Amino acid sequence: MNKGRWPFLLVLWPLAVWAGDDALSEVMRMLAATPSVEAAFREEKTLALLQEPLITHGVLYYRAPAYLRKRTLEPQPEEFQADGDWLTVEMPGQGRQDFHLKGYPQLRPFVEAIRATQAGDRATLERYYQLEFQGTPEHWLLRLTPRDPQAAELITAIIIQGQGAWIASVETLEPDGDRSLMTVTPR
Amino acid sequence: MTFPARRRWPIPLLWLAAALVCGWIVIKTPVVADLTLFLPRADPMAELLAEQLRSGPTTRLILIGLSGDAEAARAHISQQLAERLRASGQFSRVANGADALPEAELQTLYAHRYLLSPTVAPERFTPEGLRAALQQRLRELQSPLAVWQKRWLPGDPTGELLSLINAWTSGMREPAKRLGVWFSPDGERAMLLAETRASGYDLAAQRQAVTAIRAAFAEVSAGTGVALAMSGPGVLATLAEEQIRSEAQQLSALAMTAMVFILLSVYRSARTVWLGALPMLSALLAGAAAVDLLFSQIYMITLAFSMTLLGETLDYPTYLFSHRRMGETVTGTLRQLWPTLRLCVATTALGCLAMIVGDFPGLSQLGVFTIAGIIAAVATTRWLLPTLLPPDWTPPRPAEIGEWADGLLRPRPKLALALVGGGLLLLLAALAKAPAVWEDNLAALSPVPVDLLRLDQQLRTALGAPEVGRLIVMSAPDAETALRHSETVAAWLDIQQKNGVLDGYEAAARYLPSQRTQRQRQAQLPEREALATHLASAAQGLPFKPELFTPFLDAIATARAAPPVTLPELDGTLLGTRVGALLFPGERGWTALLPLSGVRDGAALSQGLPPYPGNQARYLDLRAETSRLVAGCREEVVARVGWGVLLIVAVVWVGLRSWRLTLAALLPVTLALALDVAMLLTLGERLTLFHLVSLLLVLGIGVDYGLFFSRPGADPFMRRRTLHALLVCCGSALTVFGLLSLSSLPALRAIGLTVSLGVAASFAAALVLARPLLARIEWKND
Repeated sequence: MNKGRWPFLLVLWPLAVWAGDDALSEVMRMLAATPSVEAAFREEKTLALLQEPLITHGVLYYRAPAYLRKRTLEPQPEEFQADGDWLTVEMPGQGRQDFHLKGYPQLRPFVEAIRATQAGDRATLERYYQLEFQGTPEHWLLRLTPRDPQAAELITAIIIQGQGAWIASVETLEPDGDRSLMTVTPR
Repeated sequence: MTFPARRRWPIPLLWLAAALVCGWIVIKTPVVADLTLFLPRADPMAELLAEQLRSGPTTRLILIGLSGDAEAARAHISQQLAERLRASGQFSRVANGADALPEAELQTLYAHRYLLSPTVAPERFTPEGLRAALQQRLRELQSPLAVWQKRWLPGDPTGELLSLINAWTSGMREPAKRLGVWFSPDGERAMLLAETRASGYDLAAQRQAVTAIRAAFAEVSAGTGVALAMSGPGVLATLAEEQIRSEAQQLSALAMTAMVFILLSVYRSARTVWLGALPMLSALLAGAAAVDLLFSQIYMITLAFSMTLLGETLDYPTYLFSHRRMGETVTGTLRQLWPTLRLCVATTALGCLAMIVGDFPGLSQLGVFTIAGIIAAVATTRWLLPTLLPPDWTPPRPAEIGEWADGLLRPRPKLALALVGGGLLLLLAALAKAPAVWEDNLAALSPVPVDLLRLDQQLRTALGAPEVGRLIVMSAPDAETALRHSETVAAWLDIQQKNGVLDGYEAAARYLPSQRTQRQRQAQLPEREALATHLASAAQGLPFKPELFTPFLDAIATARAAPPVTLPELDGTLLGTRVGALLFPGERGWTALLPLSGVRDGAALSQGLPPYPGNQARYLDLRAETSRLVAGCREEVVARVGWGVLLIVAVVWVGLRSWRLTLAALLPVTLALALDVAMLLTLGERLTLFHLVSLLLVLGIGVDYGLFFSRPGADPFMRRRTLHALLVCCGSALTVFGLLSLSSLPALRAIGLTVSLGVAASFAAALVLARPLLARIEWKND
């Protein structure tokens, strides 16, 4: 970075934060006003272990204020449901498992990244992540950096992009270079 | 007449010196809290049992229940409490259902996975086996949960670590989980289980553990309505100690006050109070010192029992005070009383002699304590008290008893006959009606308050698994043999579990297989070349990167040459602690324990155990076994008491030289004991060792009453004095032991009830029976 631009950036910084904060509040307000969402997703996982990305398809369902279901249909059916403080995992051959998020605090940030964002629940998001907002309410990007060091060992950041009240993609970056990109389309 | 002061000095000085020496010995005596001393020492089963009760893993358990507030709050606090306790380092294990192994432990398991994992088998490493494993791993990668698991994949494609974690978390039957942590079946309590590093009988360490739990709970539960309940052998001992101490202090303070009040109001002299305490004090010091010299330690429970037996010593000074009259020296009165007093002591001491012989250390200590104590008490009364009193001292309010006493003392043969008949009938009726006469549960002997025991039962039921009352015990010359033997038994138990004989079991071999098994597993691991070929064909068409599984190939190659894992290598790890609780060295070789849960058919387990050359495994039902041994101990006591009674009869006959007098002295106490037992049974009591020992005291006191009432050659005036003395004795015993019977502690209640009922019965029986049996002529001659 050019050394000469630093003072300039420093002057603009509070202004940018203020503008971002305003826009973030606007986005959160729009998301919070959404009673339910039904969408299809395509997730592409790029893992150091594998030669080619792992691609899964499925459907997402959200109902305000705290119900989120991620059902993977292909290649291997699998279902995650977060309802309030409960997380239910269902996999073929392994049955159903219930976790209480207070008993398994390490699961919480993963759930809230999507659910709290969709619910426009900024307070919850701020509890688990540092938020960085870019763009405008019409076309935005929200970067979540985990606050908890244990979570930070597993996730570098989660980048959510959206248009207005619609979440268009969720990208997860892991410290080992693995990443996954979930793109969400209306159903 | 007065003695020269000089002559009165030596005896008090001698007493003081003796008291100081005894006191010094007593202070140096370790007091041991241990119930196992009432088990015989020669029985091999009993020895195993005693070892279990003293230091087995069951004694290290602390059961924790969290109740109140909302379910989520209880679960949350359970989790936080578990984390704090694990961090405290005082516990070898803290489980609440959400057990996650710490990273270091995972690494240990991972490092030894091919030798330790129960799922290692040749078919795991064939192309087909490997392909199935790789497909499974691929499925797991798709899940969001993969972030936790994927790092193990290159080195462990067959998922051996997962098998080890499963073995770690299963084992015993688990309590129901809610919100990811253990809960009681009704959901009212979140449950945790902590295992202390220290033995359950290390009271200081247990107290520390209890304090640590309370402190951690106070921190994590601040601001919530969640309440803490704890139980477990060590906790019970600690809590019981607190409660016993406070209750015993209150009751003894009350009893003390009552005694002082009685003595003061009867004799109107402060001197009687402190002089009356001297024989008791001498008895305590002498008894404890004698036990210490002979056994070099004293059991807390012996101490408690013996104090009871010393109740008789309270009576000695009373006999003196009440029999004082003008114109007679104190020494003179004592000389007159001496033959009777001497006989009283001889009977009690000989009655207890029977307790000393034999291999029950608890009973022996009890006998020694009582004999030494009672002799010291009577010696104090006989020789010390006269030197401390003016020679012609009488209580300011001498024993005055009116004419009415003569009426009371008049022989009433019909009433006597009715009392004997009625007493026997009552006893027979009570024996016939009582559902069970004896209480053989060792727990009933424990001085633990009833509500704590109830809580313990509740928590145990709620946790389900850790009620380790039944287990298989085996001893072996070395750890390897013990592990091999456990593996044989475990294989058999697996079949029994499928047949529904039991719900589950724990075994050291589950976590640490024998070296033989580890070598067998090693032999099943393929060579590197073959494995590489199998893996290549298995991975065909799957998206795994080539060379990804090099760590796997390396690990198998290392494992093939690795020395088997042994116990010392696990030192300092959770795994090592858990194995160490189930497999440990003793005086004679190694012991392995297999705690069982949900046993439905104990007989099948005790008879069907597979044989193992040169070794023996035993099925142990702690509860049934302790009951058997307690019953054995009780029978022993009954037999000893029988011998004691014969000795007493002989002594009384030698002392009185007349069958009629002997009968007069002993029949009342016999009747009193019968009445006492009958009344206890009618009240719904089940007799324990506490009752039995108290009956011994009743025997001692009752014989005294009989002897005094039937004192030969006593004139009516003297008889009135005797009645006065016995009224005071009986009244004070009733007050003191009556107070004890109000206690909530089973032991104190049993003692108090038995003695107060027995003393009352003894007095009535002696009054009614002793006189008529004496020559009625003697009465008419007066």
